[in-house]
Amino acid sequence: MLLLDYQNVLIQSVLTERFSGAPPVVIDQTVSDFDGVKFHISTPEGTKTKIQVSLQIRCYGDLVRYGAEEVLNREYGQYVVPPEPGYDFSVLVDLENLPEEKEARDELIKKISLLKRNAMAAPFEQAYQEYYQLKQEAAKFTSEEAPQGVREGGEVKAIHYREEEAIYVKASHDRVTVIFSTVFREETDRVFGKVFIQEFVDARRRAIQNAPQVLFRNEPPLELQGIKGVNNSGSGEIGYVTFVLFPRHLTPQRMPDVISHIQTFRDYFHYHIKASKAYIHTRMRRRTADFLQVLRRARPENEEKERKTASGRTFKVGS
Amino acid sequence: MANQTPAVVMDNGTGFSKLGFAGNDSPSFVFPTAIATKGPAAGSGGSGSGRPAVANKPSFLTGGAGPTGHLSMKRGTEDLDFFIGDEAIAASSGPGYGLHYPIRHGQIENWDHMERFWSNSIFKYLRVEPEDHHFLLTEPPLNPPENRENTAEIFFESFNCAGLYIAVQAVLALAASWTSSKVTDRSLTGTVIDSGDGVTHVIPVAEGYVIGSSIKSIPIAGRDITYFVQSLLRDRGEPDSSLKTAQEIKEEYCYVCPDIVKEFARFDNDRSRFQKHVVAQPGGRQVSVDVGYERFLAPEIFFNPEIYSSDFLTPLPVVVDGVIQSSPIDVRRGLYKNIVLSGGSTLYKDFGRRLQRDIKHLVDARIRASEVRSGGAKSGGLEVQVITHKRQRHGPWFGGSLLGQTPEFRSYCHTKAEYQEYGPGIVRRFALLGGPGGS
Repeated sequence: MLLLDYQNVLIQSVLTERFSGAPPVVIDQTVSDFDGVKFHISTPEGTKTKIQVSLQIRCYGDLVRYGAEEVLNREYGQYVVPPEPGYDFSVLVDLENLPEEKEARDELIKKISLLKRNAMAAPFEQAYQEYYQLKQEAAKFTSEEAPQGVREGGEVKAIHYREEEAIYVKASHDRVTVIFSTVFREETDRVFGKVFIQEFVDARRRAIQNAPQVLFRNEPPLELQGIKGVNNSGSGEIGYVTFVLFPRHLTPQRMPDVISHIQTFRDYFHYHIKASKAYIHTRMRRRTADFLQVLRRARPENEEKERKTASGRTFKVGS
Repeated sequence: MANQTPAVVMDNGTGFSKLGFAGNDSPSFVFPTAIATKGPAAGSGGSGSGRPAVANKPSFLTGGAGPTGHLSMKRGTEDLDFFIGDEAIAASSGPGYGLHYPIRHGQIENWDHMERFWSNSIFKYLRVEPEDHHFLLTEPPLNPPENRENTAEIFFESFNCAGLYIAVQAVLALAASWTSSKVTDRSLTGTVIDSGDGVTHVIPVAEGYVIGSSIKSIPIAGRDITYFVQSLLRDRGEPDSSLKTAQEIKEEYCYVCPDIVKEFARFDNDRSRFQKHVVAQPGGRQVSVDVGYERFLAPEIFFNPEIYSSDFLTPLPVVVDGVIQSSPIDVRRGLYKNIVLSGGSTLYKDFGRRLQRDIKHLVDARIRASEVRSGGAKSGGLEVQVITHKRQRHGPWFGGSLLGQTPEFRSYCHTKAEYQEYGPGIVRRFALLGGPGGS
């Protein structure tokens, strides 16, 4: 498994099972997803034929500010219900009122299992729209005489998706910049992380010419200057990973893929740090086994042998 | 944030892994503890050693030569090319992948595979960031402490998990029985009968601690019942006697009867007790299989093993009685009073009732004999109670879920900071969860 999936496997499997016409049962499950996101799958009010999926996400306030509600309403439309207490967003599916065709049902399952992705997509979509606008504006000017607003680009959208980490998205007329702030608690993780990010940075130089440009630094990048809440401790604990999406990534056709990929960056990154540790452990275990084998085969160089006289008495040499 | 995320409960058994979040009433994922990796299957030969077969990498150390499929020689991303669970089974039937079961007899044998199995179950299935969650894992009784240490090494060093608790399956099964209305005092004293697919254990637990010297295993479990049903079907010449059919019949129709002889008579008088099971065979054909005496005969092999096996002949009630009699005398009363069932093979209807009756017979007979010997002294009697409850199938997992959602669970866990302070040895001891002073 190189890439992580975008959808929640559990929601997917529960809904697939329910939609397949299995006898209705009561469901009540609390499920976690990455970044402290919580789902609650339930059959409310004792009815077994209605399934409610609720989402709790810590940065919902941020997301709403950047248009999450429109995106979610667009995606889920008729299924949206007022959010369950304690959660931020709910959808309700009536099993007796499902689409007829199998494809449409699969589509619905897919959609619901992508709840988290769609909620998080809003700021990115907004940044895309801003980019299209700015590009149109900028097309009217040559680069030198463009007014300040166009050259500077839109405002920075901050999504505080974890307690100490955030994503910043900024649109300009010729690119969209996505900045992740990352924190590593562990010294080893930090080392692994550096190696990985270096690979990302070098990727463009080596083979993949059309990859987005990736920058890494320990101080907040210039784009984030003056943004509230950007920690400028300089202690090196926080790193900033910047992705620069170029126009080729910003076509409307590529948008859904790009958004999905970039959202899972942090989880992908941490998954691979852990996977490499597992790989190193494998090799360490292997090496230990090898050394043990060597030890087992080893013998002392001159084994002290008891010597006997003709009469059968023994004595030690040199004593 | 850390105080909101539910704890992750993982019960990795020999056959199946149960994964989920504390607070839920059923595991989110139940799939085979299997991993399919690139290259041929390990085969049964190297099963004992646990680590990969002896190195033959051309190195200065071993001097061996020849190609090997081992991971440590790979330089690409081959270590990520694997599947777990149902996907593993599916992948192994195709070319290129070999299937491995990292757990044998309840104990982890191949740590390389297990580490990757865990990594995939955390990131792909549960989708959690291990740094944000506490983990509750299970282990079989009599698991060597070194295994615990290895587990802790993986969880703290690879995954950086926030906190770790390793509980004994039998103790969790006792905790799961608290949901039954028969249990009033929530004690952690009792006898656990854990019958899964491969083997049945009878485990006495006193105040949350397993009495290791008294554990008994019975080589009769779910798989044997399936084989027995299959052999009955074969003897009768049914049109379909595959293992899958036998298993379906076992799960759907079998029950425990109070008395075999009377049950035979009842079947002969009442033809409606014979049923038909419809099997859809590949190719769209449907075959009907008669289901007869095996309905009650199959689970009967627990109580009369001589009808199935020729080398193991002690009935389950006698084993349970023997286990309790070999335990310290001051806990025996508690052990008789709280006999808890756990595992899929204890789900037959009236299994608990029959077991309770048979054990009661044994106990009463012994009491009467000693009354006679003592010449007139009267015994106050002994209460025997077998607890059947709704969560039996995934008993240990459910117990973990129950204990994992308690507010004090986190304080019982060992954290990464503690691990780094003391080293892996710290996981040799855990404060008793749910014990005296707990909830």
